[in-house]
Amino acid sequence: MTYVVFLLSVMFVMGFVGFSSKPSPIYGGLGLIVSGGVGCGIVLSFGGSFLGLMMFLIYLGGMLVVFGYTTAMATEEYPETWGSNVMILGMFVLGVLMEVGLVVYMVMSDGVEIVVDFKNMGDWVVFEGDEVGLIREDSMGVAALYSYGSWLMVVAGWSLFVSIFIVIEITRGA
Amino acid sequence: MPSIYINIFLAFILALLGILVYRSHLISSLLCLEGIILSLFVLITLTALNTHFTLSFIFPIILLVFAACEAAVGLALLVIVSNTYGIDYVQNLNLLQC
Repeated sequence: MTYVVFLLSVMFVMGFVGFSSKPSPIYGGLGLIVSGGVGCGIVLSFGGSFLGLMMFLIYLGGMLVVFGYTTAMATEEYPETWGSNVMILGMFVLGVLMEVGLVVYMVMSDGVEIVVDFKNMGDWVVFEGDEVGLIREDSMGVAALYSYGSWLMVVAGWSLFVSIFIVIEITRGA
Repeated sequence: MPSIYINIFLAFILALLGILVYRSHLISSLLCLEGIILSLFVLITLTALNTHFTLSFIFPIILLVFAACEAAVGLALLVIVSNTYGIDYVQNLNLLQC
């Protein structure tokens, strides 16, 4: 159970091999969804629950849904899966063998360790004056976007707003 | 170098190779670009969580914002290609071929 984060990162790489061997795009999207879910699990197990939620909501629920719809529009009649084409299967097997080799090397050289002890209460308990407060460091860090990073917030919001017009302009001219 | 970072770097390199090596579809390369962004997000979040450098949590959110812009523009270009040629095969993009 101590090595669960290492196993999650191995599954992360397997998901990446799954879409990087380039099957038909709908199966690539499936690999990206699996990798996104496992990556969220990695972030969660280090204590970043707000950023894990961000990833599920915005990345998987926003960007990948748009990718799914576009793939459904631009797809072909007989999609190639991982077993149908020998090239894709070969790339997938090569990637899996590489990752297994890395895992075996790490276990043999006894280098698998946990970096941070996530039961350490000193990370998120603050002592100020006579009272004890409680902060969540990832939520507070993102909330600093409104105070210290207000100009960055303006730039990011403006660029999102302009990109809508850019997309409309691109899809108009044909 | 913690062993989890090695796996995430490896995922980044795999997605980078996926962009550089074309097969038939253009949208597969865009998916590998999304994979690069995903691995960068996980990497910077883990670094910020391990070093407890609270203010650097702004960066994953900003990365997600600009990744959304980039995905939107990439998909718009793909829609244009698909409208012109019927499908987004890379071999169709040969107008400047000598």
